Amino acid sequence: MQFERITNLELLQPEKHRHLCLGPVQDLTAHFVPIVVSEFAAAAATCPILLTKAAATGEFYAGALFGLKPGESWLENFIDRGGFTPLNVQREGFFITGEHIAIDRNSLRFSETEGELLFDAADQPSTPLRQIQRVLGQLQAGVEATSAFIRALLNLKLIEPIDITLRFDGGERLRLESLYTVSLDGIRDLDDASTLSLFRSGHLQLAHIMNASLKQIPILAQLRNRLLMATP
Amino acid sequence: MTGMVRPVRKIVIVGGGTAGWLTAGIIAAKHRSRMSAGFSVTVVESPTTPIIGVGEGTWPTLRGTLARIGVSETEFLRSCDVAFKQGARFARWTTGTEDDAYYHPLMVPQAFSQINLVPHWLAKNNGRSFCDSVCPQGRVCDDGLAPKTITTAEFDAVANYAYHLDAVKFAAFLREHCCEKLGVQHVLADVRCTNLREDGDISSVDTEQAGDIEGDLFIDCTGFKALLIGDALGVPFKECGDVLFCDTALAAQLPYPNQMHPIASMTIATAQSSGWIWDIGLPTRRGIGYVFSKRHISEDKAERELRAYLGPNGRNLSVRKINIRSGHRETFWKRNCVAVGLAAGFLEPLEASAIVLIELSAKLIAQQMPVCREVMDIVAARFNAATLYRWGRIIDFLKLHYVLTKRRDTAFWRDNVLPETIPVRLQELLLLWRHQPPWFHDEFDRVEEVFPAASYQYVLYGMGFRTAIEPAALAGDAKAAERAMRETVVHSERLCAGLPRHRDLIRRISEQGLQPV
Repeated sequence: MQFERITNLELLQPEKHRHLCLGPVQDLTAHFVPIVVSEFAAAAATCPILLTKAAATGEFYAGALFGLKPGESWLENFIDRGGFTPLNVQREGFFITGEHIAIDRNSLRFSETEGELLFDAADQPSTPLRQIQRVLGQLQAGVEATSAFIRALLNLKLIEPIDITLRFDGGERLRLESLYTVSLDGIRDLDDASTLSLFRSGHLQLAHIMNASLKQIPILAQLRNRLLMATP
Repeated sequence: MTGMVRPVRKIVIVGGGTAGWLTAGIIAAKHRSRMSAGFSVTVVESPTTPIIGVGEGTWPTLRGTLARIGVSETEFLRSCDVAFKQGARFARWTTGTEDDAYYHPLMVPQAFSQINLVPHWLAKNNGRSFCDSVCPQGRVCDDGLAPKTITTAEFDAVANYAYHLDAVKFAAFLREHCCEKLGVQHVLADVRCTNLREDGDISSVDTEQAGDIEGDLFIDCTGFKALLIGDALGVPFKECGDVLFCDTALAAQLPYPNQMHPIASMTIATAQSSGWIWDIGLPTRRGIGYVFSKRHISEDKAERELRAYLGPNGRNLSVRKINIRSGHRETFWKRNCVAVGLAAGFLEPLEASAIVLIELSAKLIAQQMPVCREVMDIVAARFNAATLYRWGRIIDFLKLHYVLTKRRDTAFWRDNVLPETIPVRLQELLLLWRHQPPWFHDEFDRVEEVFPAASYQYVLYGMGFRTAIEPAALAGDAKAAERAMRETVVHSERLCAGLPRHRDLIRRISEQGLQPV
């Protein structure tokens, strides 16, 4: 049984957090990680990129698939191989609140002993913290750009549900539900004006990257199959 | 055969309201591509005559209809004060006691196409109602839940649903959609008279403000007035007050005590001394009305019963009277004029049949739109046969609710079970059903029945009808039946745990909207 920690948000301030060190990312168990459009190209090289709906609002968001079901994730394996680390993973423990950065004080990334200090001797952000600031900035800009991309797809009716059923040696059958992708047929049927607009905004390229990333699904399935068969 | 072929290109719909605009939308959407070649749909709407504006219950067919004419469900829900309807709850129809109630839900019984659960339920049900044994929707409605979630796509359902809507806003919404997106022309004018040709066809309608309007096919959506089919073409009206007695309605709109008040997920129809009261919950207010028979109760007494139902919150509410003439035209499509909506006929709104009939009629006209006058009479004959059949089935089904009553407390209920008031076809069906429960291949074999066999099951067995069962005949399906009823229980629990409150979902949709996919 997982012990659920309570989030304890604190505004990041050198006065309070002078002695705090930043350790490595702790939680590599997520099997579906939200990503933004600036990450699509890197993500597509190792993961399927898919859309799904947020449970609370029904809004679409994009994510990279690192495992085929909750509780199974190859995120760690991929990072070790020098693959893609999503911004949302890199930022673990940090949150943006208005103009400021806040941290979850209860996150195991923060301690007084492990890792590098968040602030230098002059109470300025250290190198690791400045890197986090960059990551958060990229995420913030990325979320808006991703929403715009999804809105453009919806307006042109280019989002379609994808039905993925996988069979494994040993008889297990996995059905991935509530996932969506871009319709290539829909893109092909677009009129010239819409196609040009999609190209100029960079959205056409993103759509093709998403589509190409679907080839990662059978690769993920193969990986899982081998691991399942290897386990005694 | 030689001679000029007279193409049918100009469709003139007289009358706005739900009938006029829904028909316009359905035809225009289907024939959009022909508009560049001269096909046109024009709605001639009176600027002075108000629409009836009380039809608020619909069937699940409306989802498909709206999707096909390109409406966004999000916009529809927000513009027309829409709530979700998952069926009807009939209270006090069987014995008249406080706890006498049953559901007619919109979901079909579990495994309906594979097994008829009726005899198995009759054999053993542990006191559980028929609806609760075969379908989760009664429980979902009991708990005040919505039939879908914020992540369900537009027009998709978790539990099958239809809508409750504001009729006036719906007509305005459809008008805007038809004119802006479907190329429908709109003329605001009062029809003064209808001009007939020698052969009896309508050549044009003469209007106050816009002169003469010519057309090839005229659709009469003028409501009870039936200006074209009744007045101009003299098609007689076939009354059915001898079968369905209600001839008057007293309608009111009751506000909620506060904005967070739960919205009922179904139409509530509560039997009274001489009729029944409808209660339709929109997000903004409840539409409530007493449908009764003047032969059995005075208008004053009826109003008192309605006010008793409205309760103290309804004390100062005004009540609007609507006279009802139950029945329908003897024929619906005569010459080049076809009646849709109230102009075609009217029956008490016990099962919200009016709007679904508009959809079915408009769909038939759109799908079989005669290309020229020469073939119109052939299509008209088909339309008349199908529509006459449908009206007959609706009358049977509505009468069924009355015939099954065990109430004998007033003349209204006693008179309703007299054999001379029961259509012969219904009498025969009731005899058949005493020995065999209705299922697929019973009488309901037309492609588009208004009420499927499942509806008859819910009403019959909700009202305590007994069909004889042969235990030996059950043995073959017993395991499958048990499994189906077990699955219903599991399904009910899953839905009741996972679906949001109706009021909450409506609010969320108003804020976030639903995704189109």
